Amino acid sequence: MSQQPPEHTRTRYRPGALEFLALGLIVLVLGQRWLVELFDVPALQTGATVFVAIMIQATPFLLLGVVLSGAIAAFVPGSFWRRVMPKNKALAVPVAGCAGALIPGCECASVPVANGLMSKGVTPAAALAFLLSAPAINPIVMVSTFVAFPGQPELVLARFLASLATAMALGWLWLKFGKSQWLRLGPRTHLIGSNSWHTFRLTASHDFLHAGGFLVIGAMAAAAINVLVPPAWMNAVADNPLLAIGAMAALAILLSICSEADAFIAASFTEFSNTAKLTFMVVGPMVDLKLISLQAGTFGRAFAARFAPTTAVVAILMSVLFGWWLLT
Amino acid sequence: MVVADMRRDVQAIILLLLGGAVLRITWTDAYLNYVREEMRPFLFLSAALLLVLGVLALVDAVRILRSDPVKVAPGLTEEERELEDDHDHGAWSTWLLLLPVLAIFLIAPPALGAYTAAREETNAIPPAEAQAPPLPPGDPVPVALGDFVGRAVWDNGLTLEGRQVQLIGFVTPNPAGGWWLARLSIACCAADAVSTKVQVEGAEEYPANTWVSVVGSWIPGGGTMSADSVPIIVADSVEVIPAPRNPYE
Repeated sequence: MSQQPPEHTRTRYRPGALEFLALGLIVLVLGQRWLVELFDVPALQTGATVFVAIMIQATPFLLLGVVLSGAIAAFVPGSFWRRVMPKNKALAVPVAGCAGALIPGCECASVPVANGLMSKGVTPAAALAFLLSAPAINPIVMVSTFVAFPGQPELVLARFLASLATAMALGWLWLKFGKSQWLRLGPRTHLIGSNSWHTFRLTASHDFLHAGGFLVIGAMAAAAINVLVPPAWMNAVADNPLLAIGAMAALAILLSICSEADAFIAASFTEFSNTAKLTFMVVGPMVDLKLISLQAGTFGRAFAARFAPTTAVVAILMSVLFGWWLLT
Repeated sequence: MVVADMRRDVQAIILLLLGGAVLRITWTDAYLNYVREEMRPFLFLSAALLLVLGVLALVDAVRILRSDPVKVAPGLTEEERELEDDHDHGAWSTWLLLLPVLAIFLIAPPALGAYTAAREETNAIPPAEAQAPPLPPGDPVPVALGDFVGRAVWDNGLTLEGRQVQLIGFVTPNPAGGWWLARLSIACCAADAVSTKVQVEGAEEYPANTWVSVVGSWIPGGGTMSADSVPIIVADSVEVIPAPRNPYE
């Protein structure tokens, strides 16, 4: 790429970014042998494998999410949402919460979709209820839970109800206490293209690149936890019911496992009570490292700092409540 | 220093690199080190989508160079276009997407192995069926490691008694002596790997992560009816084999 003549400065050609990228890549390729040696330690290698695995597993789902958010931006007029969503905001929350059951994605897909909904004028409370319920109660997750816990359909029911209740509670809490300035919805005028397809493409690319970076942060954190926390620590707290629930909630947040796989992991904690396993499955799809990172990147840190802890507390309370009702 | 802004040419290149990385691991079966086989079509689709988005972003970048920004971002006024990238707050985060690309192309992290298997204490998750059906005929009969452990631990080895079995897995040194034959299984991706181990007796030592096929017979003594029981197999023969295409069971 050649240097631009001065009259083109308004296109903001700033030598640096691309050249830096090219130079960096050349240095890394030359240093590959050294890099491979550096990673020839079992713990580091395991961390790298887990990191790449989370990224590879999440990429198709994140792309599904940004394709949907792009389609919402480009092809669905704002008036559509005013027609299908109840005028009453308090009523829109459960409608959006239940709509989450229809989108077969995991949590990475739901963040850009919720963002797209908000920027089209859907009330944030409803979009947030959707954000929380979509990865938790969709059909794939329900089926995988059923498979992971053979002969225990009450666990599937408890998971469905506790997750939906948490999503709706958070939507209503936002209606009552939420402040719009906590939400940073970036201006999206720069994503309007020359036609609908162009808008679709700009929105999808932007949302993917933006959220993808935050997914990397979450995946690295989860990979580090995976290597640093010996599984044996867990079984030590299994006997104390309260500690067990707290430990499973903390583990769900730290491990950042896809909602479609977490039932199998929950089932592998054989020492724990069913309520503790339920907590793992209700908290995980709604609050975890990669999700907090994605939310902070999409909606701003002020939002994530309030929303994630509140969600975690409500999710634990709902798990205990439904666990006590359905599982004991 | 680099990025208050993320220009479209750089965006295009990151999309293309990521698409290329996904295409490469899916094409070469390396993806099986990270995720399940069922993901293959979705990974191909993802790679295609990323590459198409990348090429089109490159077209946009060329248009910007040709100073045709109206076509590229018609929703903005002249002034906003000047400022566009400056309020793209998260732009720095996009650079992080180079990390998985670099990891895939430069380090190519291998499948999880002995390190992970040795760390896990849970070994035998209770199976769905109360009692497993008899093993198919054959001598030795190939049995999946997880199936073997389930039968040994939760059926008291009833269906294994008097049978010679063939197990496939990788060598995991047992800190308490000897080695385990281990296999990992994944529900979604390698982040959720669960391990199964069998203590192998009557065999020589091999380096960690060597793939072997063990022919032998189950003996009691590894414990039953508890998730951390590790069954024992007495080996008649151990053969070093190439790693299977899909390392997970």
